[in-house]
Amino acid sequence: MRIEDWDAVLVLARQARLLGTIACRIRDRPDLAKQIPDRVWGHLTASINYSSHRLQMVRMELAALSAALPPELPVTLLKGAAYVVEGLPLAHGRMPNDVDLLVPRANLGIAEAALRDGGWEMENVDEYDQQYYRQWSHELPPMRIPGHALEVDLHHTIAPVTSRVRANDVALFSALVPVEGTRFRVLNRHDQIIHAAIHLFQDSELVGKLRDLVDVDALYRSSILDQQACDRLWKRAAQHGATTPLWYALNYSRSWLGTPVPADPPGIEPSWLARAMTGWLFRHVCPPRIFERGKTPSRVLVELAAQARYHWLRMPPALLVRHLGHKSMTAVRSIIR
Amino acid sequence: MNPPPRLAALEAKTISNALKAPGGLRIPYGACTVRVRAFVDGFADALRNVYGAFPFLTDDGFDDFHLVIDRGRGARRWVRPTARFLIDGVEPFEPFPRSNALPYFEWGVNWCFAQRFNQYVLLHAGVLALGDRAVVMAATPGSGKSTLAAGMMLSGFRLLSDEFGVLDPVSGDLLSMLKPVALKNESIEVIRALSDEAALGPIYRGTRKGDVSHLAPNANSVEQLGARARPVLVVFPRYRRGVGLELKPQLPEEAFARLAFNSFNYSLLGPVSFDALAVLAGRCQVYELTYGDLPKAIGCVRALLNSNGEGGGAREY
Repeated sequence: MRIEDWDAVLVLARQARLLGTIACRIRDRPDLAKQIPDRVWGHLTASINYSSHRLQMVRMELAALSAALPPELPVTLLKGAAYVVEGLPLAHGRMPNDVDLLVPRANLGIAEAALRDGGWEMENVDEYDQQYYRQWSHELPPMRIPGHALEVDLHHTIAPVTSRVRANDVALFSALVPVEGTRFRVLNRHDQIIHAAIHLFQDSELVGKLRDLVDVDALYRSSILDQQACDRLWKRAAQHGATTPLWYALNYSRSWLGTPVPADPPGIEPSWLARAMTGWLFRHVCPPRIFERGKTPSRVLVELAAQARYHWLRMPPALLVRHLGHKSMTAVRSIIR
Repeated sequence: MNPPPRLAALEAKTISNALKAPGGLRIPYGACTVRVRAFVDGFADALRNVYGAFPFLTDDGFDDFHLVIDRGRGARRWVRPTARFLIDGVEPFEPFPRSNALPYFEWGVNWCFAQRFNQYVLLHAGVLALGDRAVVMAATPGSGKSTLAAGMMLSGFRLLSDEFGVLDPVSGDLLSMLKPVALKNESIEVIRALSDEAALGPIYRGTRKGDVSHLAPNANSVEQLGARARPVLVVFPRYRRGVGLELKPQLPEEAFARLAFNSFNYSLLGPVSFDALAVLAGRCQVYELTYGDLPKAIGCVRALLNSNGEGGGAREY
């Protein structure tokens, strides 16, 4: 690679929040590392240093959480924080902005009260948003100790409660894995992959989410080693009603990242139309892309379409109308003021 | 091949065209290079003023930052016109008055550099050198650091930076981050009075730091952009109106704490910056310098830099 080619690679990797991951993977491969031009290496080193700092912030936040949450309360870590305490290679180079916790819905009140007692506060959430989070979402509004680098998101399940995909909470909570040397648990690896797939294809606007696909790839490669394991993964996804998001995640992971995923089981593929529409959006908005002088009008439209898809998947139509109605009234009011 | 012309030798129109072209204009700062495109009237003129000694570069190549100074949106293109600062197509700040594009550009470059260049220990310090022997002048804002740095550059020192002391934690060397020196309020007249060679840009009134005028880096400093320098002296300057020169030696542990306090990314870098600053504090002679008269302070730093050997009181950590 010529040094000029690195120019765009760094910009795109940074936008995709993958620069630290790429840097750590190159650092761990001396044969590659020695081919990197010095000036590029500088950027990679900077992202490795920054990531080390963020991961240290995660560990400090977890120490604070450990002390604040009642010892008898079972607490599960999701996503980045889970990969950090498990010491997965996937954690290297991450730059987390939040810590995601999962507790059974019945314990949500206790956990929230313990966090408030410990100094965590919700930031500027109005009454409607409070109600939105509490009734229709799978998490509470983000909380933070003033001055702390990271937010804490308290979840009670892994998919929005109003969406068509509803994780099987009984199955989910009965398969948790304790992490040695900590008070925390993590999802079992199958559920982690399924959660990553739900998070990406059911609970996001897809925009700039290449890193989530890289997570799916890394989790898959580290744990699904043969056809039997893959069959068990599909079975588990069926239990959670999440075969569709898993289908998209594994198919894109296979075709974009070369993940060694065997052929899909029959009858799982989404309809031709859904595949075409989701695929079109995903290919347009997921990979990082630079608009030097700001987004073009066509880009704005594509992102709006991705946003519409997100809302459509997340809420039944009646609730969606109500939610968008409220949000547009708020927007109008803020303009009039 | 001829060396590229200096910006000062070109017409503003040539620079303006380069800024609008797809490749933009490359500005080498030493530790990093910036590629900038600008679509704002007057910006080329402002650049030509305060980057006069910099080479005119429009070639391809690797750049650390890709910036655009664009016109405001909608009515703000014409009515009380604004400009916008973009890095990689993202706008991290609110739009600003178009007439202040240069100070915002300067501030924006600082912001990008401080956010992203965590491969180096970034000190809030002026760095100047005679040959390859460098002095690090670390201080909090308002202590007269920029004024002293500007005065030293105009007295024959090579300026590496007045804002970012860039320390390579691996080699222990200092790199240039050579930018126009932002002089504030009374400093502007002090520097104008000090030397006829002071090339000052226009005065921007009422910025967040008060009145600001930029002093262009001179040819001597620009020519040595790429050369690293070895830190041998650390000075904590403090301007006090009307006082005589006072020089107080500092212990390495005091120096360490003060350098850490004056570093942008000390806590972010953790062990990397701890080790690098311990080495720096150990190998340099360190003084607190209180001064009321600029030429005397410059003479004093010159004498210290010339006199001391390879970090006289060097201590291993």
